[in-house]
Amino acid sequence: MSVPAMLEWIESTDLSTAIREGGLPYPIIGGVHLLAIAWFGGMLLATDLRLMGWAMRRQLVSDVVCQLQPWKRLGFVVVVASGLLLAWSEPIKLYRSPAFWVKMALFALVGVHALVFRAGVYRHPTKLDTGVTPQAKLAAVLSLLLWAGLIVSGRLIAFDS
Amino acid sequence: MPASFFRWLTTSPWAKAMNGPEWAFPVVQSIHFIGFALSIGTIAVVDLRLLGLGMRLQKADELARDLEPWTRAGLAVMLITGPLMFSADAVTYHYNPSFQFKMVCLMLALLFHFTIHRRAVRSDMPPIAARLAGAMSLLLWTAVVAGGRMIAFI
Repeated sequence: MSVPAMLEWIESTDLSTAIREGGLPYPIIGGVHLLAIAWFGGMLLATDLRLMGWAMRRQLVSDVVCQLQPWKRLGFVVVVASGLLLAWSEPIKLYRSPAFWVKMALFALVGVHALVFRAGVYRHPTKLDTGVTPQAKLAAVLSLLLWAGLIVSGRLIAFDS
Repeated sequence: MPASFFRWLTTSPWAKAMNGPEWAFPVVQSIHFIGFALSIGTIAVVDLRLLGLGMRLQKADELARDLEPWTRAGLAVMLITGPLMFSADAVTYHYNPSFQFKMVCLMLALLFHFTIHRRAVRSDMPPIAARLAGAMSLLLWTAVVAGGRMIAFI
């Protein structure tokens, strides 16, 4: 199946039509997406600010990283799930939007970030309690930049066409 | 407030800047998102602690004190970018039910944050009241964000 045909098929599914033309579903899913961005962003910010030594310096790095991790993951799952639903509702518009592709590229970099820093930073945070490594600080700065970039590119999608 | 004030707002220099280049509005809006993620996100960390659901190894008081500058920085960013966006189309927003709902929730959320929430954090309250305060705070801020999102659809 060619890409345009596939996108048209997606738009013709009941789920896609229901979200796009159902009235309430689109703003509600959009609202959940936005709330999850704030939630995930907040947990990410708190974690990264601690890694950078800019906040919560009295608390152990491992305490902050480990205790916020499940809430960060919850936010991430909700952001991605609601984002997929939104994308499913208008794939043709997104396919034509440059901002959407920037956003997807940044999203791929989030995966790269996880691959690069997981082992050294996030898997054994107790090792950072005696001193935050430059690698961990870099991970924190990059994750904040990626998250901000995802927000800006995501917002620009609405203004692309 | 008189409608003439809102009409004047839409003709203000900053409103003109917002309505100028196409990218101006989405960029300011993105900064608004980052601002409220910073403020509401750091408040949410404290709320999780008040609810006893997260950060249980930490003291609510210490957490709140350590995060307060970032909460305030986020509040400042959102309270600057918000009115900027409002100015761009003040009269329309003024009559938008979602916007009105959002403003009421925002006032309540801010009031709550600097009064009852603060007292709950300083453990002047029994645990059940602290939990209620955490839940109330999350609920109010959720209503602010949800109300904001609905503005575009109503």
